Amino acid sequence: MTLQGTPLDETPVLSTPVGPRRRFFAWVTTVAMGIIGIGLAIPLIGYVVGPALKRREALWNEIGPIDRLRTGEPEEVEFVNSVKDGWRQATVKKVVWAIKQSADTVVVFSPICPHLGCGYRWDGDEKKFKCPCHGSVYAVTGKVLAGPAPRPLDVLPSKVEQGRLWVKYQQFKSGLDHPVEL
Amino acid sequence: MAQTLYDWLDTRLKLQPLGHTLLDEPIPGGASWIYVFGSATLFLFCLQATTGMFLALYYVPSPDSAYDTVQFIQHDVTFGWFVRGLHHWGASAVMVAIGLHLLQVYLYGAYKRPHELMWMVGVGLLLLMLTFGFTGYLLPWDQNAYWATQVGTNMVASVPLVGDVLVRLLRGGETLGALTLSRFFALHTLFLPALIVGGILLHLFILRRVGPAGPWNVEEARQRNETFYPRQVYMDAVVMVGIFLALVALAGTIEFPLADRADPADHTFTPIPEWYFLFFYQLLKYMSGPLEPLATWILPIVFVIGLLLLPFLDRNQDRRPRSRPVAVLTGVFFLVIMFTLLGISIRDLRAMPKLDPSVARGKALFAQHHCLTCHTLHGEGGKVGPDLSYVGNRRPDREWHIRHLRDPASVSPGSIMPKFPLSDREINDLAGYLLTLKGGSAPPPVTTSEVDYIASRSAPAACRSLVCVDQNHWKGYL
Ligand code: FES
Repeated sequence: MTLQGTPLDETPVLSTPVGPRRRFFAWVTTVAMGIIGIGLAIPLIGYVVGPALKRREALWNEIGPIDRLRTGEPEEVEFVNSVKDGWRQATVKKVVWAIKQSADTVVVFSPICPHLGCGYRWDGDEKKFKCPCHGSVYAVTGKVLAGPAPRPLDVLPSKVEQGRLWVKYQQFKSGLDHPVEL
Repeated sequence: MAQTLYDWLDTRLKLQPLGHTLLDEPIPGGASWIYVFGSATLFLFCLQATTGMFLALYYVPSPDSAYDTVQFIQHDVTFGWFVRGLHHWGASAVMVAIGLHLLQVYLYGAYKRPHELMWMVGVGLLLLMLTFGFTGYLLPWDQNAYWATQVGTNMVASVPLVGDVLVRLLRGGETLGALTLSRFFALHTLFLPALIVGGILLHLFILRRVGPAGPWNVEEARQRNETFYPRQVYMDAVVMVGIFLALVALAGTIEFPLADRADPADHTFTPIPEWYFLFFYQLLKYMSGPLEPLATWILPIVFVIGLLLLPFLDRNQDRRPRSRPVAVLTGVFFLVIMFTLLGISIRDLRAMPKLDPSVARGKALFAQHHCLTCHTLHGEGGKVGPDLSYVGNRRPDREWHIRHLRDPASVSPGSIMPKFPLSDREINDLAGYLLTLKGGSAPPPVTTSEVDYIASRSAPAACRSLVCVDQNHWKGYL
């Protein structure tokens, strides 16, 4: 049996749209794929970078009663810092330098040297803060007395409420001449 | 620019013959809107794979974190609701697409010689997709996920001889827990994708070796033969973008709800399986007692084997529906049964009084705090306190209940009811439940069996957290 003179086992010629019709199909295909591609790419990029760009919000941490501090004498105080880490509330132990100025004012310094991020200590005899890494020296006010430090010690936001000290733990970029929060 | 790049690559990679092989595949009888279901399924699978990979950026498969991470994705991550919505609705869409694809292949007799192998691989892919649905359902670790999976795994347990072992393997132990979750996660995101990608490649490889089946009429297929590109590609693309936009619309308008966090102690929850398991769920309701094994495993196994062997059962070479009445009628019969069951199930679910999660929690608190020790509910319980059967009618004021639960003596002077150590939320939930205790269309009261059940399994814990803390206070009232 043959059909239009074609033997059964012979494949008929392939037909394919040509000219404007072909271009129309190609165009629609491209547009459709473009819509899907862009429709996915934009939200997915946002999805990936969203949390990366989100600022961690520093919370007020209660440090404790200020009558434990001696006026003018820097004290290293410990507290548990609670930060939102993705979906979890993470707690980490932190240390800051607190210097009582008067009965109800306290200045709190970040424990990180503004030069390159080492931890500095208080030299009780010389009444100076000293950083062991590159020899920066700071006054009790935080002012730079010597060494490569580009700016005074970083002051953390703090408040005293009903005799108790509260601090927001922030971190700053190192090496700049003014504090820039991380 | 694009042309230059293409030419550069072409001279190195010999792209033209490849393009020719991929795109100029002959379609007997020409391109058709009927043929889009296969590519629609493939597209949806790719979409599921993509959204799934992105979900894995934030998801953690542990009972401690799973629920929180899903909440985090839904509410905190930029476009998280969108990615989760797409993945959820995509899962349903993939089932619809597979169903239509299967139906079309069945109706066209496209499983017949020489397509038997392709059909069998296709049946395997269908089973893999169902497993995807089942394993994915547990991952959010909410009440629905937990209890539906509980039911699903218990069904496996009813298989004779091997059931016990199977269910332990599935759960990673005796109970549904951390091991089950990490198992299901690994299956859903690592094992199944690897298997299914292999299956899809095999399915497509066979398609390219044997060619598409084409129209019913063999003569028609011979007369016309059209290249895959551009017309079939265009049709597939139009359908894909249509599906994509529909899913975007669904994800944007209907938030897929997350029930409460999974709570193995709260058995007041009625789980509802995914809609594509609903007809089966309904069937199970009719097949209780001695018939149960028939529904839980005999019918499914017979069904799967029947599907797999279909090309060998139906050996008639003629693919026209007219000349294969048995096959067509069987298909119609199956569809009628399936949709009837699905319809009944949906009707029943709609009729089921929707228990507000807060009210459900209140109900659980009521049982957990042994309120029935003093109060009566429809004839059950103690006589120390007032009968609460219709308290919602007597006291329709939520504020009153809240004040009363906080400090009973403040609103009922002289009340001997103790102050229960409840949080504001718990008080609100409990008040919500009390308000539903009304005449007329009252929700089912807490039954004794439920109370006994809770009391029997949580009595020590309950006594630690409850009034028993204040033993003396409590004893005075009994
Ligand atoms: S880090 Fe402190 S001086 Fe360099």
